[in-house]
Amino acid sequence: MSMPGIARKPLIVFGTLAIVAAGTIALDVFDPATSGLFPPCPLRYLTGWYCPGCGSLRALHQLLHGNLSAAWALNPLTVILLPFLAYGIASYALFEIHGKHLPRLFLPAVWIRALCAVIILFGVARNIPFRPFDLLAPGGIVLR
Amino acid sequence: MFCTQCGASNLDSAAVCAQCGGNLAAAQLQSVLPPLGSSPVQVPNYLVFAILATVLCCLPAGIPAIVYAAQVNGKLQAGDIAGAQAASRNAKMWCWISLGLGLLFTLVMVVGTIRQIGSR
Repeated sequence: MSMPGIARKPLIVFGTLAIVAAGTIALDVFDPATSGLFPPCPLRYLTGWYCPGCGSLRALHQLLHGNLSAAWALNPLTVILLPFLAYGIASYALFEIHGKHLPRLFLPAVWIRALCAVIILFGVARNIPFRPFDLLAPGGIVLR
Repeated sequence: MFCTQCGASNLDSAAVCAQCGGNLAAAQLQSVLPPLGSSPVQVPNYLVFAILATVLCCLPAGIPAIVYAAQVNGKLQAGDIAGAQAASRNAKMWCWISLGLGLLFTLVMVVGTIRQIGSR
């Protein structure tokens, strides 16, 4: 059996880690809300509609600065999903480096379909221009 | 091996429990089957990447990736390994399409910005 991990494809593993690290530093230093360094959301740019991910880069910038409530206001879905995504990415990274996954949860298909529906409904709802739906648009909910 | 009726430890080769005399062959057959909700065959569903692609890259191509991710787990639940592997390949393909479209859009935006600065 061939050794999984770095021995197999060091360039891809370290290249990806370098890109992620560079992206994180850029997100920490520059605020996507003001800098213009980051590309706009394609859907928002082309159609004017918010997508389910609109505000996620700005939310990540706020999280890197410890502002949970500002991040929540920009994109609550991203804030909720982030711990799960981080776990999945960590598991994937660990597999590529050590050949071992973190303990994995098998999600029944129904859950994934429900998640898909939540993402789509969130994307639709935040474009409805009146209360309470507009609170889901970036900058809508401000916790005090 | 442990007896399913009294919990006593037995030799793996034993057919009946030394403690209570219960049938161990049936228990052994059960332990060969995969536990409910998990699969002995690992078929990646790329769900994490599908969500990342949807939330960070390009919405329209990320959604089919999530749908195929659901299909992978659904087919694994039904025991259809070949079907799960086919869905897995589709999920992976849509993740790459989404990433590609996202990068293409970024490239177009960067070129557009540079030309705008250059024409000033």
